[in-house]
Amino acid sequence: MKIGLFIPCYVDAVYPEVGMATYKLLRHLGLDVDYPDGQTCCGQPMANAGFERMAVPLAGRFERLFAACDYVVAPSVSCTAFVRLNYPRLLDHQCTTAAKAMDVVEFLHDVVKVRQRLGTFNHRVSLHNSCHGVRELHLSSPSEQHVPPFNKIKDLLALVDGCQVVEPERPDECCGFGGMFAVEETAVSAQMGRDKVERHIATGAEYVTGPDCSCLMHMAGVARKQGLEIRFKHVVEILAAGL
Amino acid sequence: MSSKEDILKKVRTNIGQRYDMPDLSDIKAVAYTDPLAQFVKMTETVGGRAIEVAPGRDVNTLIRQLFPEAREIASNLPELSIATRNPDTVGSAGELNGTDVGVVRGMFGVAENGCVWVPQQMKEKAVCFISEHLVILLRRTDIVNNMHEAYRRIAFNEYGYGTFISGPSKTADIAQVLVMGAQAARSTTVLLMPNVQSNT
Amino acid sequence: MHSKAAKEFLKNTSYAKWHDATFWAVRSKRDVMAQGLDEWEQLREKASAIKRHTISHLDEYLDMFAANAEKNGVVVHWAKDAGEFNDIVYGILRQHDVKKMVKSKSMLTEECEMNPYLESKGIEVVETDLGERIIQLKGQKPSHIVMPAIHLNHDDVGELFEQKGISDEPGNHDPTYLTYRARLSLRDEFLTADAGMTGANFGIAATGDIVVCTNEGNADMSTSCPRLHIAAIGLEKVIPDYDCLAVFQRLLCRAGTGQPTTTYTSHFRKARPTAREMHIVLVDNGRSDWLANADHWEVLKCIRCGSCMNTCPVYRRSGGYSYSYFIPGPVGINLGMLRDPQQHSTDVAACTLCLSCQSVCPVQIDLGDQIYKWRQQLEQFGTANPSKRRMSDAMSLLFGSPALYRTATAVSPLLNLLPSFVIDSRLNPWAEGHRMMQFPRRPFHEAIKEERKTEQAKDHE
Repeated sequence: MKIGLFIPCYVDAVYPEVGMATYKLLRHLGLDVDYPDGQTCCGQPMANAGFERMAVPLAGRFERLFAACDYVVAPSVSCTAFVRLNYPRLLDHQCTTAAKAMDVVEFLHDVVKVRQRLGTFNHRVSLHNSCHGVRELHLSSPSEQHVPPFNKIKDLLALVDGCQVVEPERPDECCGFGGMFAVEETAVSAQMGRDKVERHIATGAEYVTGPDCSCLMHMAGVARKQGLEIRFKHVVEILAAGL
Repeated sequence: MSSKEDILKKVRTNIGQRYDMPDLSDIKAVAYTDPLAQFVKMTETVGGRAIEVAPGRDVNTLIRQLFPEAREIASNLPELSIATRNPDTVGSAGELNGTDVGVVRGMFGVAENGCVWVPQQMKEKAVCFISEHLVILLRRTDIVNNMHEAYRRIAFNEYGYGTFISGPSKTADIAQVLVMGAQAARSTTVLLMPNVQSNT
Repeated sequence: MHSKAAKEFLKNTSYAKWHDATFWAVRSKRDVMAQGLDEWEQLREKASAIKRHTISHLDEYLDMFAANAEKNGVVVHWAKDAGEFNDIVYGILRQHDVKKMVKSKSMLTEECEMNPYLESKGIEVVETDLGERIIQLKGQKPSHIVMPAIHLNHDDVGELFEQKGISDEPGNHDPTYLTYRARLSLRDEFLTADAGMTGANFGIAATGDIVVCTNEGNADMSTSCPRLHIAAIGLEKVIPDYDCLAVFQRLLCRAGTGQPTTTYTSHFRKARPTAREMHIVLVDNGRSDWLANADHWEVLKCIRCGSCMNTCPVYRRSGGYSYSYFIPGPVGINLGMLRDPQQHSTDVAACTLCLSCQSVCPVQIDLGDQIYKWRQQLEQFGTANPSKRRMSDAMSLLFGSPALYRTATAVSPLLNLLPSFVIDSRLNPWAEGHRMMQFPRRPFHEAIKEERKTEQAKDHE
């Protein structure tokens, strides 16, 4: 099984440690991981802003970079969702990589089916169920729906020693990042971020964790502006902690 | 071309993909081991009252007990001897204003939501709404589980009107504070009548 | 513009918090209802399927509906647009010498701006839904389709009622008292009105019936006392039969207000014997055009429950008045774009694409996905936001060239050194609500090279 590691733009530039944790964790599990050179961005920011045509060349490059892989794994639910749900259409269905694209959480849970103990993280963490993860990649049951409850992120965190997982009130309400929404609707975005951070803090957790750095980046920025000390870690960093 | 023809033509032209009617017979609608108990529970949940009437109990006496201050009682039900007004014989709907208690017949109740099917059975249906308090006589065995069963059972008569009533009229339009008694009945009491021919 | 209006809305922090909490509470009540019915998701699927079938055979069902209503002695009118609707209603009222008309809630009449039209013709129109009556007296528009006066508190209403002579105890702003005073005032209106108008939650094609759901009983009072009943119904509200109605009746109130049912679910087949006539006015006003829009026709499935607004984190934090269309929130954004894309384009930004709306929608409209699609069309409409376009162009350039991108990540750590008066200036909208993130010295694509060198070295050992 050949895995292509996709490290999206903001993970690459702002949270390389998340990329590294992903790489090391996959290697720790004995997987063959390739990191093709020349990656930049999946195109989601432009597409959500209304210019999805600008994502077409990026989709083309993605298709070329990852053609030889069995799976393309990324530590980002928003980018993975964008690729899987839109690339086939953007590439006129001349697209093999979209179906192979998986977020690292769903990959570990559904494909690798990890059961062994992973890292060690002696802290209470508040789970941030990112919208793209919940409602597009089905990482957890949406709170809106009457379906059997499940949460793949929680399942994986259960394999980490010492990690106590709690969920905030309004467990899958949006944090308010929304890509360009954050710079266009600054007031609403910041208010949503502050409200979400407040709910995470109310759980008594020391860390907020989730499957997408854009949510974490937004909440961290809002928290720091208010002088709040709660810390943020991507799920994969916790899974790989101490390995 | 008339507007009707214009509109229908445009609709016909613009319809895209056609979809079939789904099968509704496989809906796993809620059913209760004790529909009457659920009906009573739901009636209370929505702010109404459901009272079991023992066989042989005079409904007139009971209503007097429930509404001791009531002066004007409107009903066309033959078993109501205490009615002071009759919605069949009033000159206008407006003459029913000032009714303290309106008494009507319900045909069946719905367990899932406390609804009672009240078809119009009087000249002036205003009696169902204009009365300060509404009393609905309902046979206790006439309870269905849910609205699917209910809609298979409703029947219209010549009056051409029927309503499901669940609890009293209410509103939360002022600062989201729930208030019973908006524009219609301020209380609804369902009298669960025994399963006999008459109630005397 | 939504973002500016929202910013103003949020300045009143205590009110904004109350607004958000109030609508979240309604969402939570809906959740309790949904979790309480095992068949909830099945009902949603059936509702969506029934609507798709009905709308894709709408000509047949409209014909059937009108024919059956006419068999019942009801007069059926067809209005191509808002203007024709207003003319038809005025014509009926004039024919029957109507001076005053009471009405129950109808967003359709709001859409057609019927009230000001009739008033200009000298007919008094009295809203009888308490929320609608309050905003009518205040001269305001509804801020939510189900709870139109939610933006006012009990003091606002108390003062209004004192001003209008509805209340007779100055300073008594208790909602129970105020509701009772409104009851007395409206009771008088019901008794002295010459006509009653209702909207229609549903029209039943198989029988020609109109179905109206209220908690207040005001639709029934409006039709029990006056001598004339006019029902206004949008084309898309017609459904096939009573088996279908059961599905929608069970979903509507649970989704919209978290109640198992409205107090009254009333079915009107013909005029009551002591009234003169019953009229039904079927209104198109763009709906037949929207059928042809392959990406957006499914908005016609909407049953106007309001649950999308209640769950929308942006609506809850910005309020109905922040939107340019008279219907706010997720469905309002979509309907506004169908109505007039040039006028309502700015609202499509009022969304994080969280998709909560389509997860609650009882008829499974893909509200959020459709907002994404509208965004792709803004360039065609000539309404794309120029600064978003510039940012996207810049990103396109940057991400289009791996070499350029690598250079940018090499210098981005320098941003860490910029003084705060630069970083936090108005030119950096991110800084408005966030402390700027720190750019690490080495991006991943550099760090991985080191890591693999170390791995290879270990392998050689």
